[in-house]
Amino acid sequence: MNTLTNFYREREQAILGGGFILLLILIWQTVPALISLPRGIALFFTTPVEVIKSFYQLVVKNEIQSHVYVSAVEFIVGLGLAILVGLPLGLVMGRSKILDAMLDPFVTAFNATPRLVFLPLLILWMGIGIWSKIMIVFVGALFPLLINTYEGVKNVDRVLVNVVRSFGASEWQTMKVVVLPNSVPYIVVGLRLAIGRALLGVVVGEFFASSRGLGFMIAGAATNYKVDIVFVGVAIFMGLSLALTHLVKRLESRLSRWRPDEVKTY
Amino acid sequence: MAFKSFFSDYQRLLLGMVSVIGVVLLWELVFTYVIPLNPFFFTKPSLIAAAFKEQLVSGTLWKDVAISSKAFLLGFSLAVIVGIPIGVFMGWRRRAEYTLDPFFTALYASPLVALAPLLIIIFGVGLTGKVALIFLLAVFPFIFNVFAGVKCTDRLLVNVVRSFGGREKDIYFKVILPSIMPYIVAGARIAIGRGIVGILVTEFYAASEGIGFAISRFGDTYRLPDMFAAIMVLMIMAVVLTEGLRKLETFLTPWKTGQEAR
Amino acid sequence: MVPCIEARSLNLTFTPKNRGPVTALQGFDLQVSKGEFLTLVGPSGCGKSTFLNVLLGLLKPDSGELSLNGKQIHGPGQERAMVFQEFGLLPWRTVLANVELGLELKGVAPLIRHERARELIQLVGLESFQNHYPHELSGGMKQRVGLARALATEPEVLLMDEPFAALDAQTRDLMQTELLQIWERTKKTVLFVTHSIEEAAYLSDRVVIMTARPGRTKNVFKIDLPRPRDYEMRLTPEFNDIKATIWSSLKDELGTKAAGNGI
Repeated sequence: MNTLTNFYREREQAILGGGFILLLILIWQTVPALISLPRGIALFFTTPVEVIKSFYQLVVKNEIQSHVYVSAVEFIVGLGLAILVGLPLGLVMGRSKILDAMLDPFVTAFNATPRLVFLPLLILWMGIGIWSKIMIVFVGALFPLLINTYEGVKNVDRVLVNVVRSFGASEWQTMKVVVLPNSVPYIVVGLRLAIGRALLGVVVGEFFASSRGLGFMIAGAATNYKVDIVFVGVAIFMGLSLALTHLVKRLESRLSRWRPDEVKTY
Repeated sequence: MAFKSFFSDYQRLLLGMVSVIGVVLLWELVFTYVIPLNPFFFTKPSLIAAAFKEQLVSGTLWKDVAISSKAFLLGFSLAVIVGIPIGVFMGWRRRAEYTLDPFFTALYASPLVALAPLLIIIFGVGLTGKVALIFLLAVFPFIFNVFAGVKCTDRLLVNVVRSFGGREKDIYFKVILPSIMPYIVAGARIAIGRGIVGILVTEFYAASEGIGFAISRFGDTYRLPDMFAAIMVLMIMAVVLTEGLRKLETFLTPWKTGQEAR
Repeated sequence: MVPCIEARSLNLTFTPKNRGPVTALQGFDLQVSKGEFLTLVGPSGCGKSTFLNVLLGLLKPDSGELSLNGKQIHGPGQERAMVFQEFGLLPWRTVLANVELGLELKGVAPLIRHERARELIQLVGLESFQNHYPHELSGGMKQRVGLARALATEPEVLLMDEPFAALDAQTRDLMQTELLQIWERTKKTVLFVTHSIEEAAYLSDRVVIMTARPGRTKNVFKIDLPRPRDYEMRLTPEFNDIKATIWSSLKDELGTKAAGNGI
């Protein structure tokens, strides 16, 4: 009996957490067997097993692959552009007080507004081809990256900068030796947030302005009451999001080892 | 820090204003005198201002804003009422944390908007669907921020209250609640953005009123000045809410020496 | 004389997660007389703070007896109040509201507790700061608030857990003298914990040396210096003798490394 309690005590966290999720899935699965659902709800109801079966079907019939491909391209290109633009701009804004002061109102305004609000405009400009989605992903992911890079650069300890300058370092060298390494943890946090926003951009962009992609698949399935397919899509996004966030968090803790503990920002 | 002393707050504000005015002027001048304005593609500030005035006067603007705001406030309030107690519960009881954290983290990390079409199909196009989505999106920042706040509560203070004979309810109201106020406000700031996403998604997808619907309708009918005007209204509201909360944060926590977290 | 506080054969063992059990107190005995100023000195981890927390009622001993005025201790009570090393002031409350905390928790009416709190704030010399927040105060001032708060509920016994350890040397000296003045006026029984031999000798009627973990009473020394005491007494040869006596008992408990360095 003692070994059992020890086993539990060591893994309590995993057991309770995982167990709860498993329990929920189990309940979900068995609900239709236990209660007879009223007609209205039965139309929308699906079970985990159904979802898995649909997923299997979609893969086998080669229907899902093209959607995944399209969504992936939008995500990667959009995020990539956001990194290419956001990082340098954040660095420059952080170091130049003038530029910072001039761009600040725009950054504040655009950061407070969900970038989604520009979707109709982007559709107007770019139609429903792949570029409107890439742009929404880009605009969504840009701001966390920009702002966090900027904060990282701004938060450099003045004393350290002075130390490096006293050895005769140029602006570029200062950047390389002090500013960039200091900013890396901030940038990684920005990356984590940006990934979430980018995924959001893919999903929502494809709802409204697409004929392909996982988001489109979800929207189409919903209209046809194919709730199981909806959940296939949702599950894929959930899995992707968790996997990517986990990876970045690992990166984050690796790169932040030198920092004292701080409260996380979500 | 030394940054700001180079540039007093006053100078920063001035530069910011100059920048904004400059951009607006440039925009107007370029499209009036330099590049011909294709009305199906772009617009300029003077036209936007006119459209805005018209919407204001005719009352359509208020109507749309009111409808969207109603749904937003309902969903947001639900998120506050449900999210904060859950966060406290998770933060205070280790077992609750172990059980609920993985599940909620998974939900928070997923783009829950993916469920929007489903919710709309189930609840229809009215208030319920909007409120449901807004709630789902806004509740998690509260849960997690309050959770973090409760965990960060200084245990010494709990002991102090206990040592003077304080009971469970004293600990909650005199230590935990004041401690987590800054976290609640930070959570609210994030939740506002997510809530607005909820409004926009539902109104873009399937609605007949509200500001999101207005933006999308203007787009469909190529009424660009109106569209830009509506977008700006939304932007102003978002900025006011977010910056307002930031000020509220400093007001509610006069004891903090201030840390920034965007 | 009937001891005010009596501890008999107290035992307390902690079982922290992922580590082996830690016995903080083993067969701990102590007697404290009413109105006495008693200091506990001992190496780190010897259980002196643990004992204070047991006395305060926040920790329960595994076995043994602990009584105050003949009655068993079962948790916090109005007759005992603590001054904490890290101050423990509620950062969102003003000085006044902090001092009132104990009274508020007992349900004392607002007007009465404001009055009482103001009296104590005056006693510790912070009248002009009563509407300030803790983060605006220096360490010494914060601890004075802590002291005022502890005295507000008129406890019989004042427990002080290394209250001046977080202060700089000058402030510490000042606070010690102020503490003695306040003690003379209020006549509480004080149980004081410190690492500093000098502090123990200067402040106390009696000094108790504790053994290294698990903690037990090793020696008890009576401090025969006249009262009221002042700073100059610390510079006399008698004072040095007292310190030497305490040190000779303490150093064995500190382990061979420290003893050899003559700290």
